[in-house]
Amino acid sequence: MATYHLTIPLSEQDVEQLTIGDVVYITGKAFTCRSRLHRWVLEEGHPLPVDTTDRNVLIHVGPIVLPEGDGWKLISFMPTSSIRFEKWGARSVDEWGLRMIVGKTTMGEETMAMMVKNKCVHVSPQCVSPNAWVDSIRIEDVKLFHELGTIEATWHMDVHELGPFVVDIDCKGNNLYKNHESEVNERRDQALKELGIEPDFQYTKLY
Amino acid sequence: MISRTLYEQAIFDAIRKGATDIAPDVRGAFERAIAKESRPAAREGLEKTYESIQMSARLGNPACPDTGWPIFYFKVGNECQLEGGFMALEEATRSAVRRATREGYLRATMKHPLSGYDPGDNVGNHVPNFTYQFVPGADLEVTYVAKGGGSECFGGTRHRVVAFADGVKGIEKFVIDSFVEATRSGGICPPNVLGIGIGGTANIAANLAKEAACLRTVGSRNPDPEFRRIEEDLYTALNSLGVGIMGIGGDTSVLGVNVEYAYTHIAGICVAISSNCMVARRGSYRVCADGTVQEMASPNWFEGR
Repeated sequence: MATYHLTIPLSEQDVEQLTIGDVVYITGKAFTCRSRLHRWVLEEGHPLPVDTTDRNVLIHVGPIVLPEGDGWKLISFMPTSSIRFEKWGARSVDEWGLRMIVGKTTMGEETMAMMVKNKCVHVSPQCVSPNAWVDSIRIEDVKLFHELGTIEATWHMDVHELGPFVVDIDCKGNNLYKNHESEVNERRDQALKELGIEPDFQYTKLY
Repeated sequence: MISRTLYEQAIFDAIRKGATDIAPDVRGAFERAIAKESRPAAREGLEKTYESIQMSARLGNPACPDTGWPIFYFKVGNECQLEGGFMALEEATRSAVRRATREGYLRATMKHPLSGYDPGDNVGNHVPNFTYQFVPGADLEVTYVAKGGGSECFGGTRHRVVAFADGVKGIEKFVIDSFVEATRSGGICPPNVLGIGIGGTANIAANLAKEAACLRTVGSRNPDPEFRRIEEDLYTALNSLGVGIMGIGGDTSVLGVNVEYAYTHIAGICVAISSNCMVARRGSYRVCADGTVQEMASPNWFEGR
């Protein structure tokens, strides 16, 4: 496990060197996206209001942002569960030219395959500490605020040493959580045994 | 007669407190989890989370940006008199939710289920949601719960009907298997407070599970020995899974397991689970008939637990 301090736009080489379990901090321009924006662009055919050539990091997040003077004040930031965007994951990586998704939990097989093909990684925080990141983020702009609402809009963020995030999907086809799953499965079998529940226990089929 | 100004302010204070801090019993559970954690990454995750919660309490910002579904539980004294009556109580609650959203204590999270329309103030059909309990006296007690989407949407809340033939084994297997599925990759933000409802129709079991997860004091025990034993057995079993904070592996997978029950039909036993996020948030205030207002450490929803 190594620690990397990366600058956006991320290059293919930046991403290729990362392996699950590595820790990253990122600096540069990123944008936020949730369900509504995925659908707006990938299903309803609107253009993505983001130039991803120098902003190739997407953050799955619904931040709390309040108006302040002529600009915005970020109150709270915690990446959100990525798995629910799986339907759009591969296309977002491919069509938007992403090199990194900052999210939570994991993503499915299709997105993982696209991440291998296009060289992209998924990273997550391993805690819930929304205050820890607020000072590392400056809100630059927001697009589709009126169309999609405050948390589904895409916030353009200028981030400085934002992290630590752990690489949980790398671009070699590895998934940190899949590795952990086998440990939990073994422990589940033991836990059921200790509760006196036989391994071949079958529910009475009521439906 | 309790004035609308007074109860609306108490409801707002319950939201502000509930969204920005965790209750003393949840703090205690965090401290115990940190003290016993043997895996460095998990320990660091718990410490950082706890630090951030304490910072939110100081700064008065949301302990988690997912402030969730705004749900309200009222304990209403049988002789309680409210200015404007109970329809005004619900209107005052909607008004307090709007204000809390405007002031940044709540994120505008609630939206139309089909169109995705965001009213921007967390108020819409059946939201906020209300549950009432009638008790002796003339006071009004309000509890606000921030029910996070992670713990609600990613497998931590579900039900199954178990046959009497399968009994406690069927109930416990459902809980263990559901929890394992839901915590793969940390979607429900473990370590959770797990509520379990046993018996009743599906909605009765689900309500009991939700109330057990969100209103019971962490560390409290069901006084009935049979249900208490299920709580203790499942607490040990779930914490032996090694799920840990955010599913990364660790010694604490649940902060607490709370079981509540209802009588059921001879045909079967509905079992429901409801998971509360590790940042388990609630805020409770009592508005007394004499016009005084007190913050409460616990909603005391289930007779002292």
